[in-house]
Amino acid sequence: MIVPLLTVRGLEYTYPGGIAALRDLNLTVERGCKLAILGSNGCGKTTLLLHLNGTFRPTGGEVLLEGRSVGYDRHSLDQWRRRVGLVLQEPDDQLFAATVGQDVSFGPINLGLSATETGERVREALESLRIAHLADRATHSLSFGQKKRVAIAGILAMRPEILVLDEPTAGLDAHGVTHLLGVLQQLHEAGATLVFSTHDVELAYAWADQVALFHEGAVLRQGETAAVLADREMMSQARLRIPLLLELAQLLREEGGDDAWQPPRSREALLALLRKRLREGDMIQNGASE
Amino acid sequence: MQAIDHHAWTNRWRSRHPAEKLLPAVSLLALTLILPPLNIGPLALTGATLATVYGAQVPLRTVLKVLAAPTAFLLAGAPFLAVSLDFSHGFSLHFSADGVRLALETTVRALAAVSCLSFLALTTPLADWAPLLRRVGIPSGVIELILLVYRLIFVFAERALTGRQAQTARLGYSRPDRSVRSLGLLAGSLFQRSLEQARRLEIGLAARGYRGELRVLTLEQPLSWARLTAAMAFVVLIGVMGGLLAQVWT
Repeated sequence: MIVPLLTVRGLEYTYPGGIAALRDLNLTVERGCKLAILGSNGCGKTTLLLHLNGTFRPTGGEVLLEGRSVGYDRHSLDQWRRRVGLVLQEPDDQLFAATVGQDVSFGPINLGLSATETGERVREALESLRIAHLADRATHSLSFGQKKRVAIAGILAMRPEILVLDEPTAGLDAHGVTHLLGVLQQLHEAGATLVFSTHDVELAYAWADQVALFHEGAVLRQGETAAVLADREMMSQARLRIPLLLELAQLLREEGGDDAWQPPRSREALLALLRKRLREGDMIQNGASE
Repeated sequence: MQAIDHHAWTNRWRSRHPAEKLLPAVSLLALTLILPPLNIGPLALTGATLATVYGAQVPLRTVLKVLAAPTAFLLAGAPFLAVSLDFSHGFSLHFSADGVRLALETTVRALAAVSCLSFLALTTPLADWAPLLRRVGIPSGVIELILLVYRLIFVFAERALTGRQAQTARLGYSRPDRSVRSLGLLAGSLFQRSLEQARRLEIGLAARGYRGELRVLTLEQPLSWARLTAAMAFVVLIGVMGGLLAQVWT
């Protein structure tokens, strides 16, 4: 059996104030997957993500890296954060340096890389997010979307095995979302393991291969995207709606379809399917009237 | 302040080695302090402004705006230098030729000095000073702090601005008493948010291996001796002209 890259077992976390944020939470992250942590606002997604790189120490349960438990001493945390890169939701919480290039160089320098190697990593990270032209710009002069990309580049420059992103598309416009997903897709194809939190069911449906449905500090169900999102009972328990694309696809399927049928994952795919169906419908009607 | 910062980052001389800007500016500043101000002052003011406007391509309007605030202070203060108090026959106030000359000299000298400094401020962003500061032996902790504060000023300025706009939208500044109250509330909430921001920034930095040091890769532009020499020659030229003028006047 293949050991998952990251395993969360029976995780419990209670904030110092006594508020329980996570309760008996179980989650597995397989190598090379795109996992969406899907849940409504305030259900503890961020708290969970902060456990994945050791920022928070659980009050119960454990987080395993490749099946092994990781310590919380300084050395173990360094190793941990080298492998699990966490991008926060708000880029201003992460960007501290005056220029973009300097900010991205922070991680590689902390890894102990030489100036040449660091420069190389910075260039590479900025290029893969298609923002190489911003390298010498002042951090505060950037737009929100640009800051977000710089924040991701700062983590990417450390070349983590798992990239954990907290609400990566929050606050971005449609163009920004497309751009970001394009970049993440490239990383995924290059072999990166991606974990991201979101409350956007459409995004999870379009983009994740696995979904962990999250509600009140626990994972209700983890599994293949379409299967989890079509689970009416669980989805309503998590106070989420089934994505429109999936619902339409199910409707089309009821109207006829073969067993090898795959639900469309994008607008374009659904529109193509609808067009095809309408044409077929026309032909049947035309045939009947003749 | 925003305008100064914007031009510092975008002017034509931004990418030049800071020493190429610092040495001429400081030399010119020294000249204005040493030579008779009425001769060197106007020359230095013109020279520094020309360098900012034609060299670094900062719009003249911006330069004038930056110089306007200190000029206003100088003009407000000058009359007091020109007037002298006399207590020998009771109490009297009068202008004296010496007083007027002193006022004029001080104003011109100060204005020239300010133009040298505004050249530096408008052409070199704070971040570019870091390598130079390090070289002259400022401890890295202090430099890190300066740079971090510089970055966070913009984060908080933005928060303060949106906070104020939100308060204004709810008539928070419609009367003087409300303004005082609103401003107090805004300051209080900003303080609280700064603490939260600090906590979250620490999480963000920890994710990138922060261990108490904010080291980053700073790329130093190569120093061009040719450009530095040219700039110094320009300063010397101004100095010589100032000296000659002084000879002619006396």
